[in-house]
Amino acid sequence: MSSSASSSATRPSNAAAAAPPTRRTLPFGNGHTPVPASVVEIDDGGGGLSKDNSDDSDIDDPDDINTKTKRKYTKGTAPCYHRRFSSLIKNRKLGEGAYAVVNLGHRRATATDSAVPVAIKKIKVNTEFRDGLSMDAIREVKYLRELHHPNIIALLDVFSSKNQNLCLVLEFLDSDLEMIIKDSSLTLSMADVKSWMLMSLRGLWWCHKAFVLHRDIKPNNLLLSSTGVLKLADFGLARSFADPYRPMTSNVITRWYRPPELFYGAKFYSSAVDIFSLGLVFCELMLRTPFLPGNSDLHQFELICQALGTPTEENWPGVSSLPGYYVPHVDNAAAMVKERGKDFFMNTFIAAGESGVDLLMKMIRLDPRKRCTAREALDVPWFSQEPYPTKPANLPKKGGGKGIEKVGSDLKRKAGELFNSTDDASGRGKKVARKLDFGGGG
Amino acid sequence: MAANFWTSTQRAHWQLTREKIADMRKTLDEEDTRQGLGMTYPLPDHKQLQLYFHHCLQRLARRLQLRQQPLATAETYLKRFYLKVSTRETNPYLMLSTCVYLACKMEECPVHIRSVVNEARALFQGMIDISHVPAAPHLRLPLSRGWLEKTRVRTDLCAVVLEFIPQDTAKLAECEFHLISELNSYLIVHHPYRTLMEVQVPLKLTTDEIMAVWSFLNDSYITDLILLYPPHTIALTAIFLAVFVRPAIHTQANLNASASTSMAAMGAAPGSSIASLPSSATQNVANAISAAAPAANAQNLSSARLSQMSDWFAESGVDMDAIIECTQEMISLYDTWETWTDKVCREGVARLIRGRQLL
Repeated sequence: MSSSASSSATRPSNAAAAAPPTRRTLPFGNGHTPVPASVVEIDDGGGGLSKDNSDDSDIDDPDDINTKTKRKYTKGTAPCYHRRFSSLIKNRKLGEGAYAVVNLGHRRATATDSAVPVAIKKIKVNTEFRDGLSMDAIREVKYLRELHHPNIIALLDVFSSKNQNLCLVLEFLDSDLEMIIKDSSLTLSMADVKSWMLMSLRGLWWCHKAFVLHRDIKPNNLLLSSTGVLKLADFGLARSFADPYRPMTSNVITRWYRPPELFYGAKFYSSAVDIFSLGLVFCELMLRTPFLPGNSDLHQFELICQALGTPTEENWPGVSSLPGYYVPHVDNAAAMVKERGKDFFMNTFIAAGESGVDLLMKMIRLDPRKRCTAREALDVPWFSQEPYPTKPANLPKKGGGKGIEKVGSDLKRKAGELFNSTDDASGRGKKVARKLDFGGGG
Repeated sequence: MAANFWTSTQRAHWQLTREKIADMRKTLDEEDTRQGLGMTYPLPDHKQLQLYFHHCLQRLARRLQLRQQPLATAETYLKRFYLKVSTRETNPYLMLSTCVYLACKMEECPVHIRSVVNEARALFQGMIDISHVPAAPHLRLPLSRGWLEKTRVRTDLCAVVLEFIPQDTAKLAECEFHLISELNSYLIVHHPYRTLMEVQVPLKLTTDEIMAVWSFLNDSYITDLILLYPPHTIALTAIFLAVFVRPAIHTQANLNASASTSMAAMGAAPGSSIASLPSSATQNVANAISAAAPAANAQNLSSARLSQMSDWFAESGVDMDAIIECTQEMISLYDTWETWTDKVCREGVARLIRGRQLL
């Protein structure tokens, strides 16, 4: 019908066509969350309480911003979309991924704060998006807006730019745990491992406490700040716990860190999936190489069976009723592995000491119901025994210019994918935006 | 639902006061008047519009077979959005479809954008009679001559179907972006349903009462309550209404079509029957409450249970003033509802969309 005549410039129906100077035709600045300076500087990774920023005098009244933005627009002045944005100086591109481009920026120095580097993640919306914003982007915004914790990456601000892109201003972080693990020039003491585990468990505990599953715990999603504080990042696969009896997709978590119940296609799972992944990160920190690097789902599962034991009704009541239940070498009783006992882990992870191995075993139990919760893990004696966890500032660091690319390069991978395949990344990224997960309410 | 209400952005940024809400609406209206839109496109007051949008959302949600939770989130988004943007600046049908679409993603039950658009297109369309085309201006629809002729050739009927939702899904996607941006990307909404789930067991609510509470909660999304009070207060208000006030009204007015049936009534004939509470009973909550005890007796509700219930309310430390205020709000909603019809709203919105070419 006459709908093609979208000539008239009224929001929100006109396309990205020439930005008309009508009121409300353009997206407004928003994000009046003040930058919690305390979160950026930090701290020994302790605490556990979110910083309540709501009283900060720095708050911009959203309406106020809108009025100002509006005025700027109607005057047609320089592209200054948002007061806070105007204080962000874009520096250079850090990386480009399937659904976002990341630039390094700085928050301008003010009277009270010095300049802070930030990562500006610009989410592509308009080009080929017939499907609305990608689920990843939405999840990231949704959860990071609510979760504030020293061990979770801080979303400092969100604003929209003139050509209808959503920009997330994220805390800028130097490096990640994967880089540390791979850097053979570094020696990691058990105290260091303890410190990283402590910080990741705190972050994870906070997520679980807020009923959020991360669903993609792996070393390169555990980012490290320049002060050594570890922060959980990449909430593109996160979701809130499902209501009872509502299914979730089992196709999450990067293969090497995926727990057995997901290989069995469990649709109802809990925070134990994150604990399992973190348990494998723990192993990796000690071994300095992935503990179970399967090259296919099947192979991965065989590795799990060999390393941890074959899931059976004895060690995991009810397992055989999972939809994808399968036992490798079922006809060969000799190949069946009993659930590994303590001596096995003591042999492999001798450095962790007895209490460390106890924690590890609780985290990677086959039966998800027997795994500990993040809270219980934080309470184990291991953390309060010598050697004490290293202070974040004294942790081994990956220095230099390479680290600065981190937040950006992270994007080149699809969530749930393993390798930082820098070669083909840009090509693939351009091709398609990630599809929404329409299957089974994942 | 994710996260903790006490540290949530809902509590920090989207819990407003009545004055603030009134102020925001007034500002929008004034701006409209200044631009001359208010005169050109008259719309009923916001209470009426909210009722209308509520029905629209509900019908769309039914077509998409959504659960109550995403619907409630969509309603909240729409409310928040229209506090910051004037209705006259938007295509309300497109907007509310967008709210539903985004809410579905948010509540982890994504619906394909295409099906939202298709359902919305089928649902939101109007018929106009063009048998007397030259007189079209009297419809106050500034339709261009050319458009009408084209339509006529195509349909060859004396009525045309007016479409309100563009076929292109990109429009909705774009709208989603605006919505997120207007909401300051605070997307998690906490709903009262969860509180109900938690307290229905210790309070030993009967199935009948739970149904009534659900209906009251669903109706509460027509009002501004979700913008004013924390979800648990709203939940307790609904329980209060269902347990104390409803039986009283039942007996007083012998009503059987009270709010408890509103869900059923809604789809078929919006605005026809729902919850026409007698104003005598609704004017004053105190009256209703004082009448509660005998009424409850009449309904074989033991007074022991009622007193147990009031003890629970007293001991819970819940803000009773807030509950009374919520109750007033709900009752004034049912008052408005009594005389409400969707005709005025429908026509106003149609005129707006056509007139401003908001497709």
